[in-house]
Amino acid sequence: MTNPYQQYSPSNFDSSASGRLPPLNARRPSYASVVSGGPSALTRPAHSGFSHLLNPSPDSEPQTHSSNPYSAAHSPMFHADMTYTQNGGSSEGVLSIDPLGQTMGTGLWPPRLGSSFPYFSRAFDLYMSKDPLLPADPMSNDDVRFPSVAPMPNVSSSGFLSPSYLRGTIYLQKLEEKHRADVLAERERSAAKVGPPSSSPIASRLSSNESSSHLPLVGTKVSGSSHRGVAYDIVEKPMFPAEEEDDDAVSPLPSRWNKDDKEAALEVLSDGYEVRHTGRASSDHEASAVRADHYMSPSCGVYYFEITVLNTRSDKVKNPPIAIGFASKEASISRAPGWEPDSWGYHGDDGHSYASQNVGKPYAEIFGVGDTVGCLVNFRLNHALFTKNGRELPIAFKDISFKDVKGKLYPIVGLKKKEDHIMANFGQRPFMFDIDGYMKKQRASIIEEIRLADTSWLVDGLSETDLIQQLVLQFLQHDGYVETARAFAEELQEEKKALRLTPDEPVQGINVRDDEDAHNRQRIRRAVLEGDIDCAMRYTNTYYPTVLRENEQVYFRLRCRKFIEMIRKEAVLNMQLEEQRRNSHRGATNEPRADDGENGDEEMLGAGIITTAAATTTGGGQDNDLDMTMVEDGAAGDDVAAAGVSKLSQELLAYGMELRAEFKGDPRRETARRLDEIFSLIAYPNPLKVKEVAHLLDGSGRVAVAEELNSAVLTSLGKSSRAALENVYAQTCVLLEELRKDGGDGAFVTVESVVESIPPSRLR
Amino acid sequence: MSTATPSPQHGFEKRVAELKAPKKDINALILDYLTMEGYPKAAAKFCKEANLQAQQPHASIQQRQEIQHAIHSGNIETAISALNELDPEVLDTNPELHFSLLRLQLVELIRQCEGGDVTPALEFASKKLAPRAASNRDFLNDLEQTMSLIIFSHDNLKPELRALLSSDLRRTTAAKVNEAVLLRQNQRREAAIRQLVRMRAWAETSVRGKKKDLPESIELGLNADGAEYGESGHEPMITT
Repeated sequence: MTNPYQQYSPSNFDSSASGRLPPLNARRPSYASVVSGGPSALTRPAHSGFSHLLNPSPDSEPQTHSSNPYSAAHSPMFHADMTYTQNGGSSEGVLSIDPLGQTMGTGLWPPRLGSSFPYFSRAFDLYMSKDPLLPADPMSNDDVRFPSVAPMPNVSSSGFLSPSYLRGTIYLQKLEEKHRADVLAERERSAAKVGPPSSSPIASRLSSNESSSHLPLVGTKVSGSSHRGVAYDIVEKPMFPAEEEDDDAVSPLPSRWNKDDKEAALEVLSDGYEVRHTGRASSDHEASAVRADHYMSPSCGVYYFEITVLNTRSDKVKNPPIAIGFASKEASISRAPGWEPDSWGYHGDDGHSYASQNVGKPYAEIFGVGDTVGCLVNFRLNHALFTKNGRELPIAFKDISFKDVKGKLYPIVGLKKKEDHIMANFGQRPFMFDIDGYMKKQRASIIEEIRLADTSWLVDGLSETDLIQQLVLQFLQHDGYVETARAFAEELQEEKKALRLTPDEPVQGINVRDDEDAHNRQRIRRAVLEGDIDCAMRYTNTYYPTVLRENEQVYFRLRCRKFIEMIRKEAVLNMQLEEQRRNSHRGATNEPRADDGENGDEEMLGAGIITTAAATTTGGGQDNDLDMTMVEDGAAGDDVAAAGVSKLSQELLAYGMELRAEFKGDPRRETARRLDEIFSLIAYPNPLKVKEVAHLLDGSGRVAVAEELNSAVLTSLGKSSRAALENVYAQTCVLLEELRKDGGDGAFVTVESVVESIPPSRLR
Repeated sequence: MSTATPSPQHGFEKRVAELKAPKKDINALILDYLTMEGYPKAAAKFCKEANLQAQQPHASIQQRQEIQHAIHSGNIETAISALNELDPEVLDTNPELHFSLLRLQLVELIRQCEGGDVTPALEFASKKLAPRAASNRDFLNDLEQTMSLIIFSHDNLKPELRALLSSDLRRTTAAKVNEAVLLRQNQRREAAIRQLVRMRAWAETSVRGKKKDLPESIELGLNADGAEYGESGHEPMITT
């Protein structure tokens, strides 16, 4: 209990986690154990995943199972092999729902709420228990919110909604970035309120080093962000750093019905997913409508949502007047969707479609209780259509002039009679209609168009093949890949020679400029990529003495990277030491009190060098840039190794303080943040195994620093800081952005998707 | 939409300049290109210099390069036997590809015997190509067109016939063969950089088609560093 670092016990980590990869399996308790309160989960081992969460009381299972006419086999919503993956930063991993188990039995989320349900069927428990007018089941008071959490596989634990059909789009990517930043900011705010935890590992580690008066400062400053996965943007560049902020591009998705934007007779229930007509006198009102909380952003390309008409009417009317559609804020909420200007709707009682007028057109069949109806708006093709129970209906509204609509368009639903009740799916769950497939088709037609594009006009006189050869060769030379450029030029030359029709035809030579600069830049890059920052800085100062002086930012990054490399080395040594010690323990004695021994060792190490005490990590830590010679058998080797680590740690702290002192006066917030971020690494006995911070140590950081330094050198030589291929990339991104604004083709394709089609080639 | 659009005339270039292409992506594109299009030496060097893991084993890139080289040099027989050794299914499952190769072989034979004895070409055509062309209208057209090269003087040909004699036919046929092999190996037929370049061209055309404001021409910057990469006065590195 004396070890304050016990909480990082390596037994929590994936033993196969190599130095670079953060462990993926969770160390937080699963939902299951939290909710069930432990023992109850054990008593019902037959259930997997959520099943027991979804059942407020275990006793009711058998009877509901038998009384429910819907078996899982009829359900299009749940498939036997369905697994739900949590999105976002959640580490809960993959949760699977047993389709034949009680999940379906409770009728928690039947795809079609057929009128054949007895009114008292447990199929409606979900809706009932959350209805504020009804007394909540006292047994499941705490459980009430779980049903709304559990069946929403597209909502992350931090509340981020990512409908499957929008994944991979820039729109969703931007929303996610924003969400992540918001979550982070929120955490930092609340952390600041609470103040630094008294048992801050950094503080104790630093104080055990009895260092100078700087240290308390270090400890306090770091605590704000120490345990958290600090934003990546410092290590990796954000995709779209500085384009003009288009509001539209980051407008959140509609996610619930808006309580503040509804006609008075309606009631919004169940976290905003359901709407019910209370029957309040609507005398002169023709209908009651409610809009969603956010508008449909055209930059989605396609927007889709579904509603299900619930069976809650006591008069058993099958086709109540219910309408689904979309409308601007201008449209009155006391009229049915479609009857007002800038409002479009499909009405269930007559099957007509209404495009901003009172008179409808026969459109499709009627819909009613038990039906799921979807509304699809295609901003690319300027039309909208509906779906019924997963089936695509014809286009309802052609040539919608989205540009002329005053304001933005919101999902809308209209009800008329008491007890009419609908539930919406804004993408938090899988849809009944195959919207993913619809998106895929949209995308495929655009990709085909791109495939057939003519490229010969891009650079006069160059065919596509010639142009690409030039782009590649120019990039290789520009970025100082000397050897590659030479090899490529040779191979191109061979190709040209082969293509000659007669052997006496002359072959034009390819000039590969083989200059000193390229070699120098290559040497510098090599050093950075190998993690030898000192060497890289020495080279830079020798060949290009002004560069580091004139590029403060690059200089700062290099200095930070050096610190990171030291931490990395320390962590790797520690892992080796640990493993070696474990081996010697195992060899020397079978004594079960190995733990005591290790704790003793730790105390002896003094100087705050912490080795994690547990016996589950294996195999980690082999790193090719560190020699293993220090790992020997026996206690003597152990001490030598420990001394080595100890020395390194001293150096590390000394360097850290030097760094802190050097940039203390820097007014930029970024600098302070970056310093906090890297100093937070000290807090972990082994940062390589903590997924929140391990990314700070990985090799991609070296690449980023190397490239930045290379660009600075190029600029100092009066050369363009980037190669033509990089221009092509950036130009394409911006052009696509242009095509994305009003929901055009650009919403469906990304440059990233092109790069992602390349099979991964990991950093060595 | 009512939002005022800022003048993109200057905006466009500025936005491009501010958008950084991640080096990781660029490196991936380069390695992918060198691998897919068959430049084994450059791919190996690039892995070393950029600290990347190879996408395909060296030997497999080399095999494809050798086949392409044989086609580029006009040694179609060599190419076909190397291809059959690598993966006999490639030709068996692609009759069009097989026919293209044989037709290229015929063109090479005709080239060789121009002004001399045309018997080898005629023999090859009747033995190898005619049986395949009999059952396929497209093949037959191609064969007839190619045979006319025997009759006409090569100095004064119609453009479509002259195209058959240019080295482009070797190049495109080699590329087709390479794609077929790749497709059988890993489902992707061509390097991602090709898609990127086409996407770039397509996107500009589309944006201009929408009458959005763009600079008159958007330079790729292949010669941005002046003479450095062109005729720089340095001796060509390659000596033959």
